[in-house]
Amino acid sequence: MKTAVYFCTCGTNISDRIDAEEVKQALKSAGEDCSFTVGPFLCSEEGQEFLQEDLARLKPERVVIAACSPREHETTFQGVMAEAGLNPYLFQMVNIREHIAWVTADKEQAVHKTILALNTALKRVVLHQPLERLTLEISPAVLVIGAGPAGLKAATALAEAGREVILVEKSPVIGGLPVLCEDLFPELECGSCLLEPVMGDILHGRHAEKIELLTMAELQEVTGFIGNFTVTIRQRPRYVDPHRCIGCGECFEPCPISGPNPFNGGLDDKKAIAFPFFGGLPSVPYIDPDLCLRFTEGSACRLCSDACPMGADIIDHNHQEQIISRQVGAIVLAIGASLYDCRQFANLGYGRLPEVRTALEFERMLAANGPTGGDIVTTKGEPPGSVAFIHCVGSLDDQHQPYCSGICCQLAFKFNHLLAEKLPEAEVHHLFREVVCPGKEGLALYQAARHNPQSFFHRYEQLPDLAVNTGENGRQMVSMLGKEAITADLVVLCPAVIPAADTLKLGTALDLGLDRFGFFDAEHSRLDPARSKLRGIYLAGTCQSPADIRDSVNQGMAASGYILSELVSGQKISLDPLFASVQADKCSGCRICNGVCPYRAISFDAEKGVSEINPHLCRGCGTCAAACPMGAIAANHFSKEMIMAEIEGVLK
Amino acid sequence: MTALIREKEKNVAQAAYQPRIVGFLCNWCSYAGADKAGTAQIAYPANLQIIRVMCSGRVEPQFVLQAFKQGADGVLILACHPGDCHYKEGNLRAAQRHTLLLRVLEQLGIKRSRCRFDHVSAVEGEKFVRIIQEMVDELNNKKGE
Repeated sequence: MKTAVYFCTCGTNISDRIDAEEVKQALKSAGEDCSFTVGPFLCSEEGQEFLQEDLARLKPERVVIAACSPREHETTFQGVMAEAGLNPYLFQMVNIREHIAWVTADKEQAVHKTILALNTALKRVVLHQPLERLTLEISPAVLVIGAGPAGLKAATALAEAGREVILVEKSPVIGGLPVLCEDLFPELECGSCLLEPVMGDILHGRHAEKIELLTMAELQEVTGFIGNFTVTIRQRPRYVDPHRCIGCGECFEPCPISGPNPFNGGLDDKKAIAFPFFGGLPSVPYIDPDLCLRFTEGSACRLCSDACPMGADIIDHNHQEQIISRQVGAIVLAIGASLYDCRQFANLGYGRLPEVRTALEFERMLAANGPTGGDIVTTKGEPPGSVAFIHCVGSLDDQHQPYCSGICCQLAFKFNHLLAEKLPEAEVHHLFREVVCPGKEGLALYQAARHNPQSFFHRYEQLPDLAVNTGENGRQMVSMLGKEAITADLVVLCPAVIPAADTLKLGTALDLGLDRFGFFDAEHSRLDPARSKLRGIYLAGTCQSPADIRDSVNQGMAASGYILSELVSGQKISLDPLFASVQADKCSGCRICNGVCPYRAISFDAEKGVSEINPHLCRGCGTCAAACPMGAIAANHFSKEMIMAEIEGVLK
Repeated sequence: MTALIREKEKNVAQAAYQPRIVGFLCNWCSYAGADKAGTAQIAYPANLQIIRVMCSGRVEPQFVLQAFKQGADGVLILACHPGDCHYKEGNLRAAQRHTLLLRVLEQLGIKRSRCRFDHVSAVEGEKFVRIIQEMVDELNNKKGE
């Protein structure tokens, strides 16, 4: 076999330590059938030009280049080979700069080591197979799960780029947590006002026809792989036709049954047919089957339907759950996060004492469309004379969530600011473990609270040091170990941001992997936070880590950026050929490989009784090849024969 | 006098003994760590020959056995640090396999110290050199064991 060996001197970086002539003579005396060419800087423009011409002229069957690290210029030289009309995988690079010339003090040893390494490469390269990149047809449509800030931004950006988007939202309204907030930190913008333009784009903007919004819907199943997912979505019945309902609310009044409104933390009641809250989009009510008498008692009540000015068939109690199937090329997970269950802390009284609230419940209390119309009141309906905010509830605590959620401090200081506006006489107490307010705007609200003579700060060591109880006067006593107790009419707990309940379910269904806190694991937490470890599945917002709105929308945009660059509409995607494959005649069907693959690339064909590797999902790590007891898995470019040849070569 | 000659012979024999080490290095971290030692130009003994694999999870136990069979004095498997694996968990598989492999090697009469598993990140050029030096020293001290 005709092999061409090129020896790059790298100026004098290599030749200072390794004499090319000695190496050449050694290969010759070993009887190696190869050409041997020495060049000064093969990676330079001139070097590449020379290499390309030489390769085109020699037309070798294999190429070995002894130069720098393959991590430096393997792809450069593979490119040159392709330009010269050779398959770029019929090539082996020998790292004689980083691994020999620069680290070997003794010149004789350096030359000896180089000869051994080159001999080894010559043994290996003859076993190389020509490989071609895989190409794959794709569906340009994208499934976005979750219509909070991250999902909304991803959906609009993709739709603007001409992509079909299926936007799936679990709740009856879009906008996520921020639309429940009247004012948002750090600049006290109204949450609805901030998001309404984006939500308007989704519902009736210029690109709205590109977006299929499915509210009250959840992902049920996913099959396939990047570019070719088949997704199954289960949509619960709304019992109201969203396309014909005008959102007038005439149907609420006659409805005879009410129950606690989950969107207001149970602080008020809503009718069985209602908006989750006024101003929620889409402006279409929904029927809660856990309340509506037709479902709870089997009654024939149709008072809501009778009241509808748009016709008798707008509200239809016979609507059924829909199972919807779609083909998509990519999936964006933007399912958001949840808040730590404050009931875990019996000493803080949540669930036991009516005047102890969570931050989200307090947020709704502040909102004009909330249960109190924006009034801050105790359960007696009176404005509180003193409010205590307990920070870090479940955060910074190894027994609960060890991390800082990063948003609760600013939330609490925003509450302080709004309280000072609405109830200037009220005392505000902050009980905290640490104060964390990063970012260029982060300190403003904290400083305002610090400068407010009505605000008091108390540092506690750990949550068990605190106890909230009702005092003799009916007010809440917040006691702290080693400190004087505080009297408060309202106690607000700021819980840790934790993974949403669906994270585990979806993570398991998609085999995505969760980090040690239970959030979706990113491809890389700093470099690639918007990409999951599975090709074609992207992460945006708080499903990956606690985040504020800015970080969430950035991730939504990042996810859409990845999709637009990785899955270009009308183009096939091209994948690296370093994948593994099962040799069916050797496979015993033991399925050990199925379990070791980190990318779900291996499945078992029950009919044939053998495992199969999907080359589009395989990333070429080779761990399956190492695990196979039958030696039935061939890893492209890192085959057992090639590595064995290297072992033999280096130990000659 | 005889004792002196014997001592000298022993020294000569020791100087001539050059342990041969085969290192399986994962492409993304450990191989890059070895490159880092190169760019920092930290000299280390020439006893190591590096075989690059994409992931330490690719290293079949048979590769290690084959290396010993071919006369290797030491085998190194270097992987990314836990949590840093480019392929999520290949380094953990490699660690598990190494633990099992040591038992097999012991049964074959190959000392545990001759087969080392360690983590080297892309910036740990110095750690990489330390590992090589330690292994060479270890093998020199235990020559023939």
